[in-house]
Amino acid sequence: MEPIHLYTQRKSWISQIDPLSKLLFAFVSIFMTYLFSSITITCFVLLISIVLLMVARVLKKIVPLLAISFTLLLSIIIVQGLTHPTNETPLLTIGSIVFYQEGLTFAFLITLRVFNMLAAFGVLILTTKPDDLMESLMKQGMSPKISYVFLSVFQLIPQMRATLGKITDAQRSRGMETEGSLMIRIKAFFPLIGPVVLSSLNMTKERAIALEVRGFSSKGKKTFLIEEKSYFYPKFIKCVLVTLLIAAIVWRIVG
Amino acid sequence: MSKIRVEGLKYRYPDMDKLVLDNLNFEVEKGAFIGIIGENTAGKSTLCYALTGLVPNFFKGAYGGTILIDDLDEISDVTRKVGLVFDQPFSQMTGSKTTVYEEIAFGLENSGVEREEMRIRIDESLRLMDIEHLQNKNPYDLSGGQMQRVAIASVLAMKPDVIVLDEPTSQLDPKGSDEVFQVITKLAKSGITIIMAEHKLEKLAEYASKILLLHKGKQIAFGSPEEVFSRDDILEYGIAPPVYTRIAKAVKPKTQAGFYPVTMKDLMQQWNVGDK
Amino acid sequence: MKNKGIWSLNFSTIVIALIPIAVAINYLGKVIIETLKLPLWLDSIGTVISSMLAGPLIGAFTGLINNIIYGFTLSPISFVYAVTSVVIGLGVGIMAHKGWIASIGKAIVIGLVVGLLAAIVSTPLNMMFWEGTTGNIWGDAFYLYLASIGMPQWIASFGDSVVVDVPDKVITVLIGYLIYRSLPKNLIHLFKNNNEIEKL
Repeated sequence: MEPIHLYTQRKSWISQIDPLSKLLFAFVSIFMTYLFSSITITCFVLLISIVLLMVARVLKKIVPLLAISFTLLLSIIIVQGLTHPTNETPLLTIGSIVFYQEGLTFAFLITLRVFNMLAAFGVLILTTKPDDLMESLMKQGMSPKISYVFLSVFQLIPQMRATLGKITDAQRSRGMETEGSLMIRIKAFFPLIGPVVLSSLNMTKERAIALEVRGFSSKGKKTFLIEEKSYFYPKFIKCVLVTLLIAAIVWRIVG
Repeated sequence: MSKIRVEGLKYRYPDMDKLVLDNLNFEVEKGAFIGIIGENTAGKSTLCYALTGLVPNFFKGAYGGTILIDDLDEISDVTRKVGLVFDQPFSQMTGSKTTVYEEIAFGLENSGVEREEMRIRIDESLRLMDIEHLQNKNPYDLSGGQMQRVAIASVLAMKPDVIVLDEPTSQLDPKGSDEVFQVITKLAKSGITIIMAEHKLEKLAEYASKILLLHKGKQIAFGSPEEVFSRDDILEYGIAPPVYTRIAKAVKPKTQAGFYPVTMKDLMQQWNVGDK
Repeated sequence: MKNKGIWSLNFSTIVIALIPIAVAINYLGKVIIETLKLPLWLDSIGTVISSMLAGPLIGAFTGLINNIIYGFTLSPISFVYAVTSVVIGLGVGIMAHKGWIASIGKAIVIGLVVGLLAAIVSTPLNMMFWEGTTGNIWGDAFYLYLASIGMPQWIASFGDSVVVDVPDKVITVLIGYLIYRSLPKNLIHLFKNNNEIEKL
């Protein structure tokens, strides 16, 4: 089964950092880029995320994430370049279409922010095993039920995707077309999604019974098979991040 | 190992108007192996749910009568004492664990078993179910028969007094089915109380100390396999007796006790053709 | 036991078993859309079914979990739209409870309402994070058109979202409704949290 999470096991000191610190880092980093509408500051923040990704040896893994955001970014550049309310100075003219400097500058800032959003979260999601994040969250008081929901999605999706693959093959061999006109493709949607959705929903009852008989709703204190991991000064790192955040806000208000 | 007493058990699902269990009365001795038989609508699964407290706690609906464990506790208050394994291997995996070892630990974690004790119990269950070699595999990469053995191991690790199996082999291919029956034999020998709903009557005839025959929610018979399978009206309840009983019936006469043999061994004995 | 209405957040075991399956259904919708190259998202069918079965709060929670999972597995940009998913779950759940899951016609109305709600919630997010566009080619083309005829930025942005969300949610709710209708009654019953045990 092909896992859906993006974590890859790489030895580096980033993997020694507590998942919650990484989560906090992502939020602080993204918040900074929106707090200051400044290309210089955003560049600097982005640079930090990139350095961390390099240290964690997962920089290449961020490329597919950037690719997914390509259309979003392209359309931002075109739309803002053409129509941003502050547009004044024409920069580029193609036929009757005029791109303005202000809009393009703005689009550049947004692009940097999106890059940073991906890179900062990348530091978390590319270097953290979902199980470890859940364990840390449970230690902070999150319900084991919520943790179950997350972890089970990670197991279930590859599972159901495999089933869907089998159904797709079966329907194709029965002559269903998945390419061609829009109508043909719309018609193909139902025979594909129907069986897998119905069978999986029907599974909910059995899954719930399986959980019940394993004491899932028992009220007592839970124990854990896997020993808690120890991380690199989690409190210290969180304190630094929060201090940075507060300092930035103060600077923004005062400055 | 406990004794279970079922008295006047009645049950109706919330969306139905007919009783699915209608006045059941029977007693299960410590260490006994009880087989539940009947057609698909007989109420076998519902009875299995009732024995584990899922009926009525999980399904709600209308419930009457009592199921007492050791003449003491109402079963629905002490679910942990009875383990359940059902037919679907796939949906019995909890779906949040990535190795068989952790999968078996799931129930123990929920019950707050200490880590040391957990490891001892998991190793024991793995050994008993012959799945030690699978412990580091992802549960979903296993075959149906292997998953089913993991499911039994998971229940076993919780150290229930009674283990209820609801057609544990009905979704398996012959190979998987054999694997599961092999470990059930082991379980039966270990002395734990077993209650099993099953279609494969030859297997039940071999292990069961008593058979409970249900039909449309009503208790038709509760007695030794010989007694129940020898009934002349058994076909009316949609049950084809074990092949050995049918052979014996075709050739006639009954044993001294007035029953037909139900296993190959019995049949051989009756005809004096044992292998020695 | 007093009124345990639609606003009770009851994480019963059946609900806990449902949520991951609903999220996986969302995901599959997206995968199929990509396979068939259809111009829609259809990635909230599971959320819609979850709301119909278990009420607005569980539906909203499914939406939230969904976007967090997407954020972790597809693109962190999904985190931004978690609010939209929550509103979709709430909207469908409330309307379902008020008796709007009765016919195909009514299901379409739910879709229209939820589509508009989704657009209303997404617009400020789009304004805040990327100056108003959605990244959907049809929607953004509409944005360009609205901007070119002199509409203010937020109206163009809202138009962009409406073009994307309304047709998508109408079809999503319709599919969700058809699936809900073909579920066995005894399954639907397990989600009713006002069931009490009756004594026989």
